[in-house]
Amino acid sequence: MTILAEPPQESPDLIPPREQGEPWEPKSDFRLGRTIVNWLTSTDHKIIGYLYLIQSFVFFLIAGIMALVIRAELTSPGLQFVSLEQYNQLFTMHGTIMLFLFATPLFVGLGNAIMPLQIGAPDVAFPRLNMLGYWLFFFGGLIVSLSLLTPQGAAAFGWTAYAPLSDGVFSPGVGGDMWLMGLTMGGLGTILGAVNFITTIFCMRAPGMTMFRMPIFSWTVFVTSILVLFAFPLLAAALVVLEVDRKFGTVVFAAENGGAILWQHLFWFFGHPEVYILALPFFGVASEILPVFSRKPIFGYKGLVFATIAIAGLSVAVWAHHMYVTGSIYLPFFALMTMLIAVPTGVKFFNWVGTMWKGSLSFETPMLFTLGFMATFLFGGLTGVILASPPLDFPVSDSYFVVAHFHYTVFGTVVFLMFAAYYFWWPKWTGRKLNETLGKWQFWLLFIGFQVTFLIQHWLGVKGMPRRYGEYLPSDGFTEMNVVSTVGSVMVALSTVFFLINVFYTWRKAPMVGVDDPWGFGGSLEWATSCPPPRHNFTSLPKIRSERPAFDLHYPDIEHKTGGEQVVGHFADAVGAPPGDSDASTAEGTDK
Amino acid sequence: MKIEGWLFVFGFIFYTIVGVAYAWLSQDIIGTVLLLFTGMLTLVAGFYILFTSKRVYPRPEDRRDGNIDEADPEYGFFSPHSWWPLAVGFAVFVLVMGFIFAAWMFAFGILLVLLTAAGWLFEYYYGDFAH
Ligand code: HEM
Ligand SMILES: [Cu+2]
Repeated sequence: MTILAEPPQESPDLIPPREQGEPWEPKSDFRLGRTIVNWLTSTDHKIIGYLYLIQSFVFFLIAGIMALVIRAELTSPGLQFVSLEQYNQLFTMHGTIMLFLFATPLFVGLGNAIMPLQIGAPDVAFPRLNMLGYWLFFFGGLIVSLSLLTPQGAAAFGWTAYAPLSDGVFSPGVGGDMWLMGLTMGGLGTILGAVNFITTIFCMRAPGMTMFRMPIFSWTVFVTSILVLFAFPLLAAALVVLEVDRKFGTVVFAAENGGAILWQHLFWFFGHPEVYILALPFFGVASEILPVFSRKPIFGYKGLVFATIAIAGLSVAVWAHHMYVTGSIYLPFFALMTMLIAVPTGVKFFNWVGTMWKGSLSFETPMLFTLGFMATFLFGGLTGVILASPPLDFPVSDSYFVVAHFHYTVFGTVVFLMFAAYYFWWPKWTGRKLNETLGKWQFWLLFIGFQVTFLIQHWLGVKGMPRRYGEYLPSDGFTEMNVVSTVGSVMVALSTVFFLINVFYTWRKAPMVGVDDPWGFGGSLEWATSCPPPRHNFTSLPKIRSERPAFDLHYPDIEHKTGGEQVVGHFADAVGAPPGDSDASTAEGTDK
Repeated sequence: MKIEGWLFVFGFIFYTIVGVAYAWLSQDIIGTVLLLFTGMLTLVAGFYILFTSKRVYPRPEDRRDGNIDEADPEYGFFSPHSWWPLAVGFAVFVLVMGFIFAAWMFAFGILLVLLTAAGWLFEYYYGDFAH
């Protein structure tokens, strides 16, 4: 109770004692208007997190539909449904929305919905700022989306907005301005989110939750937030300067001043850390899920933490591997640094495999998605090492080989692990488990559909199909492979429908789980509070003596092989209590 | 707080070394500035955190034997709910749309941002939640 805003002596019966598993909130009568106002004015990190998650999923669907139109257009040679100008808008908005309005907010959403629970905090450090971050993302995203309705249409210069293509002469029209300013606004929201996460982790961990007992997911949220602080202010500055170029005729990014290269440097100094901002938190998700379904503690906890830090550190020094073909960068430096990143990434894979090694594995849906991620991302990483080598990159740069590579990495992490996270934490958020049968259908459709869509694009690229082209000739010989890819994308779309059905079905039909830890082997603190958790997360906190306080609480008689020293007093307290039955409040202090 | 601080200071050391090496190898001014400035950013944060950690007693969350009841009961104040984030967010929306489309709207947006920011700042200085 000490974690609440009010000193406990003033409100001794504010929160009634809770049985393990019992939901804290009494069922109240639901009023729609009241709920909407509650959500719009919320300062609760969980609600804000859900808002982020819902909003980002809507953007995922929008950009996914755009991808389907792109795929439909490419199924046969020549132009079918869209003009070349519209095609340019489509891939630009697809990439932009997927990266800035789906994947980045998804990180902030997951961080909000999970991280404070994991470190035993009642909320984030700046609740109102948190909500402001969401509204900036919401309205910024709105501006970017509205640009689709302008007379000249949305931005069409690719998500990279290379100068001078993106200047006022080559890309006139207000769509480009809305793209630049909307993303600046959304980026501001991301910065606020990152500041909030860092402060929360520094200042609001529960007693005993040292940095090196923090769950890996919280570590990745922390390290990712630092990367956000490196990258997003720079992006905002670059976008605004480009906008000033467009609007007031300044020439910062004019080609005759070397502006083309300057833009690429600035953009990719943001852009490469950005892809790790998208990857790292999802690596954290994998690191949370694997131990639970392997029934073992995470293997090499510290190794994972240091690998995360190393990846983040290096990711800032590799940006110009996106600029190999400009001919104006120092190739060996970037090739070397890029290949170095493979080392800590390999460490992570080693640790994940080590976690599963000799574990008692079970294959519930979250685990399936995590394994799907491992297979997919591993392959994307291998093609990444190929692209990191300049002589191998030159022939395939800006071809479908690159498109395949980055979908293997970014789709493999973000989408697969998003669904893993949803299946894993759905009971924590809503009190109900998503349906396993539907989930398995979804997984296999998505996994097979994804491979069918993107594997073949490697060969397309090698054969010479360039990226960002809306048409090709029958004599190019790309047609068959493009048909295969489109068939795959329909499977991916179908799998998403399964998810939506599952959400609806679970909402109407699934029973409440009624326990704190529905998976049975949860380790981090979110599994030591009810499903869903109360307003300020915990009515009582267990003693934190290892990386797995919730596991210690539920299995007091299992001795640790790894993860922190045992404290005798804790053992003595809990001896005799059967697993899962121990009352969380025993760990609370007696004399306040 | 020591670990947190050293993490940042380590960033400073790393980016300075990489930045200098990069400058020497590539002779590229843009990347050099970017790397060295990133290092300086981490130095500012790291210095502040280490400086603060010197002056605070090791907090219960920094000790491996910290107990839950050692947490400060005056944990801080958490806004229960608030309209102001939405108001400020909308004001920024008007401002940005004004920047793109019309000067009068931009001016109106500035006014809105100032007003809503003031409302935000003073939300807990009067009325029900004054303290
Ligand atoms: C629903 C499954 C998806 C399909 C079928 C798909 C399809 C495509 C295709 C065909 C292109 C190439 C367009 C061209 O170069 O002409 C493309 C580009 C791109 N996609 Fe996807 N995509 C999917 C999901 C995603 C996801 C989840 C992300 C990121 C989180 C993403 C990020 C991108 C980016 C950044 C580009 C580059 C855009 C540009 O060139 O400016 N895609 N996608
Ligand atoms: Cu990169």
